[in-house]
This record gives sequence, structure tokens and C-alpha cells, in this order.
Amino acid sequence: KVNLCSVALKVEGMTCGSCVQSIEQRIGSLPGVIHIRVSLEQKTATLIFDQGQQSPESLTEAIEDMGFESSLPDGSTTT
Amino acid sequence: MTKHEFEVAMTCEGCSGAVTRILNKLGDVKFEIDLPKKLVWIESDRDVDSLMETLKKCGKEVKYNGPK
Repeated sequence: KVNLCSVALKVEGMTCGSCVQSIEQRIGSLPGVIHIRVSLEQKTATLIFDQGQQSPESLTEAIEDMGFESSLPDGSTTT
Repeated sequence: MTKHEFEVAMTCEGCSGAVTRILNKLGDVKFEIDLPKKLVWIESDRDVDSLMETLKKCGKEVKYNGPK
């Protein structure tokens, strides 16, 4: 059974639309990621994912791997 | 150490910043980035393929221009 979960990660280091796009494309194509929306203004990435395949930590790591700084929001809210 | 020239489709400082951070994580490379020309020079003993893989992590198109 698929166990969906959403999380809003902080992402630092994006300065333009192309940064946003490359994150959306790359992270959005990871297994278990259902939906991603990246906001340049708010410096966040909102993700809906399958908890069986990804975790907020693994997603943070994937974003860091791309060369951006990413962290879990304060008082991590996985709902 | 060999110096390699790569062409990376960087469009802004965020892109070059991402490339910088990725390369910094490798630790054992020296590099220079020319954002307007979209070029990255890397001095390293690593082979081209692994450098290429590393650069591709930032989600941008990468082309190898050969040793400089």
C-alpha cells in the first residue's frame, strides 16, 4: 500500500528559474516522488512522496547532492 | 594533474554556485568557473567520466571539451 506524505523543505542557493527547473526535474523524477513544487521566493520545495521509497532525509540529501543547501523545516511537519 | 575543460549549461549565479558546492564536496580538485562563457576548468587526477558524473549531478547539461 502506498503511504503518501508531504513535506516542505528549505532550499538555499537558488537564484533563478533555471535552478528551480533543474531541481523540479531531477528530484521530481526520483522513485517515489509523486509531486514537487519549488518556490524561488520562499526558498522551499514542497514534495508529495511515498514514504515507502523516500524520506524527508533522503530528499534533503538528493537536493544537497545537486549543490544546493537543503534542510528540514523547523519542527519537521510530515503529515 | 590534468586540467580538463567542461562546458556546463549554467545560466545564473545559482547554477555556478551549485557547481561550486558539488566540486567542493569532492575535495581533491582545483577548479575555475567562467559563468558568462559557461565553462568549468577542473584540475584533478580523477578520470573524465567521474568528473562528468559529478557535474551532471546539478541537473545541467555537461559537455567535455578536452584537456587544456
